[in-house]
Amino acid sequence: MQEFEHLQSIWDTHKVEVKISSDEMLKQVKKEVNGIKRKSLLNLAGMVLSFLAVASIWIFYDFQSWTTHAGLTVIITAIGVYTFILYQGHRLISNNDFTVHPKAFLDNLKLYQISRFSLYNKLYWIYTFALSLGTTLYFFEVLDRLEVWVQYAVVIFSFAWMVFCSALVRKVAMKRERERIALLIEKFERLSTQFKD
Amino acid sequence: MEQKDQLFKQIFDTNSKKIFHLCYGYTGDADSANDLLQETFLKVWQNLDKFRNKSLISTWIYRIAVNTCLTYLRSEKRQAKDELTDNIIENRVEEYSEKNEQVALLYKSISKLDENDRLIITMVLDELPYSEIAEISGISEGNLRVKIHRIKQRLTELYNQHARI
Repeated sequence: MQEFEHLQSIWDTHKVEVKISSDEMLKQVKKEVNGIKRKSLLNLAGMVLSFLAVASIWIFYDFQSWTTHAGLTVIITAIGVYTFILYQGHRLISNNDFTVHPKAFLDNLKLYQISRFSLYNKLYWIYTFALSLGTTLYFFEVLDRLEVWVQYAVVIFSFAWMVFCSALVRKVAMKRERERIALLIEKFERLSTQFKD
Repeated sequence: MEQKDQLFKQIFDTNSKKIFHLCYGYTGDADSANDLLQETFLKVWQNLDKFRNKSLISTWIYRIAVNTCLTYLRSEKRQAKDELTDNIIENRVEEYSEKNEQVALLYKSISKLDENDRLIITMVLDELPYSEIAEISGISEGNLRVKIHRIKQRLTELYNQHARI
């Protein structure tokens, strides 16, 4: 029959070793947050590149038909507006450092989640409609010089690609991002609930 | 920022071992204890500016750790406590010794206590003054003494039961 003093002596003999340093710990949390920032920045960079590519087509080719100019205007405006919305979202999460202002960061993360959700839903369809309209107008002059079967092939491929992105890629990306942000919010919320001022 | 980093490192070096032991006592395994330790010190870092010296800094950190432990198992759908502790005991078979067996039995017995009791007894075993434990757990010192007496008895009983098996 053992007494409590014996349990105390067992406890004292069990030496524990902390294997993590404060630097490593902070680095780990910052890494998680930076993952989202990096992705948002890559999105932004992709959109800027698309904008520049369309703009350079417009500048370096001498188009005759008004439909081509109208098409390129619609496309470039759609890309420009979408890029600006993405930039606003990016600013929301890059303005605050979680490790310095956790509450402000958490609030912004929630706003970012709403902004991304809207981006993948209503705004995405407006964007897709504008791109389809722009592409259709653009194709009138550009495809005119090509053979009929090539014209059909280009049109079918372009629209099939848009449908594929809208139906599959959008849903998968939306699901992944929603889960990722929700997990981060849950984690940060759990951390902040214990610190009511 | 540099000053804050320095202060944090100093606090971490002074308190991390005791907090890790508390988390170890609560979860019964090193990996979960490590997660809890990280979460605790992350909060310490974020809220260092809010600390107003009303209590000892160690008391403040213990309170954060206790809250972290209590919310950890509830919010995360983790393995049941018993399973965890059994795993630890199985893992330790390789390095069998009487001392290791006693340590494993002690952790197993602690895991059979209620969540709050588990944390209180861990602090008692870490020899924290009763006044500090009372402040951390939010119980009056008088009530705490009675509670600790009961937990000690219960833990000893559980240990002896397991030791006989």
